[in-house]
Amino acid sequence: MQMWLNASLFTSTVQMMAPLLLAALGGALCARVGLFNVALEGLMLMGAFFGVAGDHFTGSPWLGVLWAVVVSAAFSLILAFLTLHWRANEIVVGIALNFLALALTTFLLRSVLGATGAFYDPAMRGLPIWTLAGLQRVPVLGWLFGYTPLVYLAFAAAVAMHLFLFRTVPGFRFRAVGINPEAAASVGIRPARAQYVAVVVSGVLCGLAGAQLSVGDLTMFSQGMTAGRGFIALVAMMLGRSNPLGVILASALFGLTDAIGIRLQGFMPTQFALMVPYVVTVIAMFFFRDKYLRPLASRG
Amino acid sequence: MNKLLEMRNITKWYGDHLANDRVDFDLAAGEVHALVGENGAGKTTLMKILYGMERATSGEIAIRGEVVRIHSPADAIRHGIGMVHQHFMLFPPFTVAENVVAGREPSRQGWFDRRRAEADVRDLCRRYRLELDPRRRVADCPVGIRQRVEIAKVLYRGADIIVLDEPTAVLTPLEVRDLLATVRHLAEQGKGIVIITHKLHEVMEVADRVTAMRQGRVTGRLLARDTNVEELSRLMVGRELASVVRPPARPGPVVLAADSLFLLGEGGKPKLNHVSLAVHRGEIVGIAGVSGNGQSELLRALTGDLPVDGGRISLLGRDITHLSVRERRLAGMAYIPEDRQHTGSAGVESVRDNAILGHHRRPEFQRCGWLRGRRIDREVESWVRRFGVRTPSLQAPAHSLSGGNLQKLVFARELAAGAPLLIAAEPTRGVDVGAMEFIHSELVKYRNEGGAVLLVSSDLNEVLALSDRILVMYDGAFTGELSPEEADEERVSLLMVGGVRSG
Amino acid sequence: MADQRLKRALEALLHPLAAIVLGLAVGALAIWAVGGSVADTYTQMWNGAFGSAYFAGETLTRAIPVALAGLGVAVAFRSGFFNLGGEGQMVLGAMATALTALYLPGPGWLKLLAGLFAGAAAGALWSWFAGWLEVRFGIQLVISTLLFNYIADLFASYLAGGPFKDQTGQGALNQTPMIEPSARLPKLSATSDLHAGLFVVLAAVVAVWLWFRFTALGYELRMYGSNRAFGQYGGLRESRMMAWAMAVSGVLAGLAGAVMVLGFQYRFIDNSLTDPQYAWVGLMAALLANANPFGVAVASLLFAALQTGGMGVELNTNVPMQISSIIQYVVVLLVSVKVGHWWVRRRRRQTQA
Repeated sequence: MQMWLNASLFTSTVQMMAPLLLAALGGALCARVGLFNVALEGLMLMGAFFGVAGDHFTGSPWLGVLWAVVVSAAFSLILAFLTLHWRANEIVVGIALNFLALALTTFLLRSVLGATGAFYDPAMRGLPIWTLAGLQRVPVLGWLFGYTPLVYLAFAAAVAMHLFLFRTVPGFRFRAVGINPEAAASVGIRPARAQYVAVVVSGVLCGLAGAQLSVGDLTMFSQGMTAGRGFIALVAMMLGRSNPLGVILASALFGLTDAIGIRLQGFMPTQFALMVPYVVTVIAMFFFRDKYLRPLASRG
Repeated sequence: MNKLLEMRNITKWYGDHLANDRVDFDLAAGEVHALVGENGAGKTTLMKILYGMERATSGEIAIRGEVVRIHSPADAIRHGIGMVHQHFMLFPPFTVAENVVAGREPSRQGWFDRRRAEADVRDLCRRYRLELDPRRRVADCPVGIRQRVEIAKVLYRGADIIVLDEPTAVLTPLEVRDLLATVRHLAEQGKGIVIITHKLHEVMEVADRVTAMRQGRVTGRLLARDTNVEELSRLMVGRELASVVRPPARPGPVVLAADSLFLLGEGGKPKLNHVSLAVHRGEIVGIAGVSGNGQSELLRALTGDLPVDGGRISLLGRDITHLSVRERRLAGMAYIPEDRQHTGSAGVESVRDNAILGHHRRPEFQRCGWLRGRRIDREVESWVRRFGVRTPSLQAPAHSLSGGNLQKLVFARELAAGAPLLIAAEPTRGVDVGAMEFIHSELVKYRNEGGAVLLVSSDLNEVLALSDRILVMYDGAFTGELSPEEADEERVSLLMVGGVRSG
Repeated sequence: MADQRLKRALEALLHPLAAIVLGLAVGALAIWAVGGSVADTYTQMWNGAFGSAYFAGETLTRAIPVALAGLGVAVAFRSGFFNLGGEGQMVLGAMATALTALYLPGPGWLKLLAGLFAGAAAGALWSWFAGWLEVRFGIQLVISTLLFNYIADLFASYLAGGPFKDQTGQGALNQTPMIEPSARLPKLSATSDLHAGLFVVLAAVVAVWLWFRFTALGYELRMYGSNRAFGQYGGLRESRMMAWAMAVSGVLAGLAGAVMVLGFQYRFIDNSLTDPQYAWVGLMAALLANANPFGVAVASLLFAALQTGGMGVELNTNVPMQISSIIQYVVVLLVSVKVGHWWVRRRRRQTQA
């Protein structure tokens, strides 16, 4: 039992939570402008695939990250266009995009990378690990260091989003749009513009999240590798009340259960260990009684 | 004369509905110009065009003699037009200052300068004599204050033309007095003010000029001092309203009784504070009051939509306090809801399906869970005929009916079961005059035949015209009970603001 | 009256047809982009779906679980609930069916009927549970049903890989033993895999249609689904509506799993129901058909044809079979625009009146 509570548990928690945090922040920004972004999963998957594809074709993991960000931002534009411009139901579009992403990445995996199931290129380099001058060897606090830059970026993004939403004028307007779009429009704020920006930024963040999975944690892409993380991110976003700092805590909770789940694999059937994050997510929703998202979710 | 605003020849089509028909309208600086008309007369459409929320099909707008194009509220704001909407356009979680500056926030290098926002709002309030606390959250402000926030918003944007859409609909008479004083003060400072309303007494009190509209057209343009309420109402309605003929009531035994209903609201303040009432056979009991004083909660409690925290409700002597909506309906309660579109019907479903909800489990309409289609068709057909619901067919979707016809359908449905009690909330809100007269006469007929009616309406005239007894509601309790003889507008108004407490 | 109705029906068809044509156009673009021949690929797709009695049979077979799961979604959707848990309900239904048919003593026909019943019941319970959680605890259905899929899949996978694993034969696969032949649904064709599950689908389509149209409960659900506030005002309780809508929805999803076990695989095989995304394709079919039961059947056949056609493409060209899924989801995205548009129009009408 002791092996559970060592520093490596913290390390793997941080590793597990980083993609969740990035995606959940994207979802939170959308929620702040009044959109329920169910497509996080698909956006992440696009990011994961294009991260690896970019890395493979350019030889640079950084360009891979760039590909990931650009493509998932572009993909998120479909969501923005259909829901904002054409008023399609955001849940329907979100779900369809998730599956379109799955089909598209598998299609490209086979036709462009010529692989079935998974793609791995031994020549491919992953993102570097920033050890910050060996700080990860510091006792007790060592687990705070030794991750890819994207992990640090995730935390920085949370802080930046917090400042943006609560301290800047555009952030104030974003929140205004989410609270009452009609009122926002009446004072000359353009709700659709804020919503477009939020969706595209969520695309960027999900692209980063996917890249962290495929060229950060690992250096490979496998079919459907996001495995529901986008949905867990959605719950993390709700649990954190779309508040960037709250989202950090919620993502940490899910990162931790993920990390524990992996450790439990030695003690119980794999399937039950894999079930842990989903069960914890459902239980977490017991405590999420805030109903502000309900009208959003049951619209249409 | 120095014209601040001129709207010329404005025409607006919504599909094949003509909302504005070659309307002219103008406004001078320092003037209060009232725009009066019934619901659907086209007042609000005209002002939405002015504020860039709708585009006119044809016509032009000139500000200070210069023709301008207004395609969005942002354009309108740029041209010095401000609008206080009937439904407030506020952000409840934000503070007063944040609400006032939204869209034009003071900033330092992109950061929101909240301190300056508060200072600016304080200055503004001093200049225009508006009493506001910039740091208070709007969610915590009462309605009168919220409206003041709206006015401050408009002034903050430097508007010279201020449009107030039905500004007094939700206010208490005391708040109305404050508002009218503010309006006069603003006009004295050189602002041009348009008040959209159908409350003619207020118009006479505050306006310099009046434009009356009916069915999308201007029917009169007068100086307020040259006209009177009677003339204006004729211009608005086009004919004298038939007054309701009502034989004296002969109340029978109690049908509905509520005893000391109690309902706790947020923050520990009761929404219903020991409310008791009784409605007898053969009488109409009217509840008057400014909306938001507990009428909605009372309706929801009586109909079973909201469980009460204390008290007892009985129907025909049977305790129904803990019965569900369905059980109360079966026990003999019919209910016309406040909002026929949102709660009273399902727009995409057929007229027939809309007509039987609540009756569909009656043995004549279903056998062993199967609906008896032909019986239903025949029955609904007869309701539609009897209530004069104009519909292309029983299969037509409910949203294809006009407001008055949909309300008649709701009436038909609720009265069809022959329930001994009818609760009617805002029965004629937003319906045309013909439908209104029909509905009023049906209510009286139902009462003459021994029905018990509880009428809740924010239209005081309606309550006064129909009720055999009038209860006045204020702040979650009844402040008085009056007979139609002793009830006049002044007395009821006083009770509506909690002036006297009796009973 | 009659031609008004005809006109409305044509209008209702026009949009999905336009979406399908556009979807095929996008698919053509994707084929062209990876260097395939568009004409050849689509020819292979057609042949793979309907080119022979065998392929047509395979397409029909594939449409069976899709249509049942899609009907399940349609029932919930019509009642105003979004049930995204079809996959989990289907998998649990399949597992319950397999275990019942394997371990219930008695004659084959009894095992068959009990198996169908057990599958329906398992799906209904799992689905109802998610609904109950929303009514009782406010746990959002959209999220809970999604997460329940993972939990159900993993649980069934554990059962198939652990206590009920077939110890004979290839040990690598997580699957239960085979069901005895007398407990299976009969085959309908000598050449293809088409089985009597087809009749279950046809019965379900008619039953759902009759239910919504002619029963008091179906009427209640329809009203509740069209306008929840109206339903509540009319005395319909959320808990009851939710329970019925979700349970019936789950019955249909569970039956989808049951007929796959009894008519196609004759055992529960881990991942065999989730990999082809039957439940999700069913959801898409329900959306395409705007929850009309006959429409769901047709849309399911269409999507199934795309998928079996995709296998033809896979075998005979260099284009991967996922081209079919791409086309399918593009079609759904295009159709979603109409759902949204209809909603906006309705809102606008309400605010204007």
